[in-house]
Amino acid sequence: MTSLILPIQTDRLTLRTFERSDIEGLMAYHALPSVQRYVFSRTRDRSEVPDALNVMRGHVSLQRPGDTLTLAAVRRGDQALIGHVALHWSDATAGQGEVRFVVNPVHAGQGYAGEALGALFDLAFDHFRIHRVFARSDGRNHHSIKLMQQLGMRLEAHYREHALFQGEWDEELHFAILDREWQRSTKVKDLPVRNRVA
Amino acid sequence: MPLYPDYPIATDRLTLRPFTRGDVDAVYAYRRREDVARYLFDVALSREECALAVQQRIGQVALEGDGDKIILAVDLTKTGSVVGEVSLILRSADARQAEVGWIFDPEYQGQGYATEAATAILDLAFGAGDIHRVAARCDTRNDASWRLMERLGMRREAHFREHALFKGAWDEEYIYAMLRREWLGRESSFSAPLRAGP
Repeated sequence: MTSLILPIQTDRLTLRTFERSDIEGLMAYHALPSVQRYVFSRTRDRSEVPDALNVMRGHVSLQRPGDTLTLAAVRRGDQALIGHVALHWSDATAGQGEVRFVVNPVHAGQGYAGEALGALFDLAFDHFRIHRVFARSDGRNHHSIKLMQQLGMRLEAHYREHALFQGEWDEELHFAILDREWQRSTKVKDLPVRNRVA
Repeated sequence: MPLYPDYPIATDRLTLRPFTRGDVDAVYAYRRREDVARYLFDVALSREECALAVQQRIGQVALEGDGDKIILAVDLTKTGSVVGEVSLILRSADARQAEVGWIFDPEYQGQGYATEAATAILDLAFGAGDIHRVAARCDTRNDASWRLMERLGMRREAHFREHALFKGAWDEEYIYAMLRREWLGRESSFSAPLRAGP
């Protein structure tokens, strides 16, 4: 595997590892109740954000199973931190990776999460040679569900009350996509019409 | 929550009871078969391996903590022949989650014994066990197993594709589940269609 080259540029975003100076940008959204509503490891209030930043600053690459790569998504024009995306290497033998993401609600609805996740999928499949990427979502998190579908992920699981989540029975969805199903970014994916199968 | 059932458990035609040392040959009769092992995590077992498996099962009769298993031999009451085994595994005592499983001797197929024994183990789980949700999993090619899950009234909650390696190849797995209220709700209308089958 060639070494990981960061930052990654997308049309509107720069994806890079977190830095100490991101604390203000992260403070702006990370402890908001609406952001924390559906996340797995909670940051309860603003006083816990510095610790969360420290943890994420350590997520710089995937060296061994269990590692997480967390990338800050920064808007190219004004360098505003609009959210972050993460790729967790959950299983080496079967090449499994899990993605998670958070967007500052101020910047929601503009397609930034999809743009950042698209780049993260490219990285997962092309660079880290992951075979299957999956994402978990609460059944009530409609924005997340819609985004998973837009990215071409398939709904693989719909668990009802299979665990307690933040003190209540959960409803958890799993979405997944295989390396051969992932449509690379538009610049490389279009085949001439005659070569298309479907 | 701890579950120490009274044994044996009798159904119309079957007796569910803890394993004893005398069961090795009966277990070997089906666990040695390739067609039985195909969709199990184990390969076909030698007689020595069966002896070890039976030895282990002798103590698997109660549930206290996460991961504890009840594995019972299923006898045909009339003849005393072992037709297979059923299992109940406590996955989470906190969230009252359990998993059921079964292995049956193909010699006794097609007579509804698996349905009858699985019904008894679900009764145990949702009755004395006070379990909130019971799940079962199988390879998608194991038609007999998932059809049994559907006969029991379980819902297909997951269809995972290539999320792990199974015996050297990509897996495809179903997870079925049922909630306590669904089991209790269907019981009245259950006994009639049970024997009819498809």
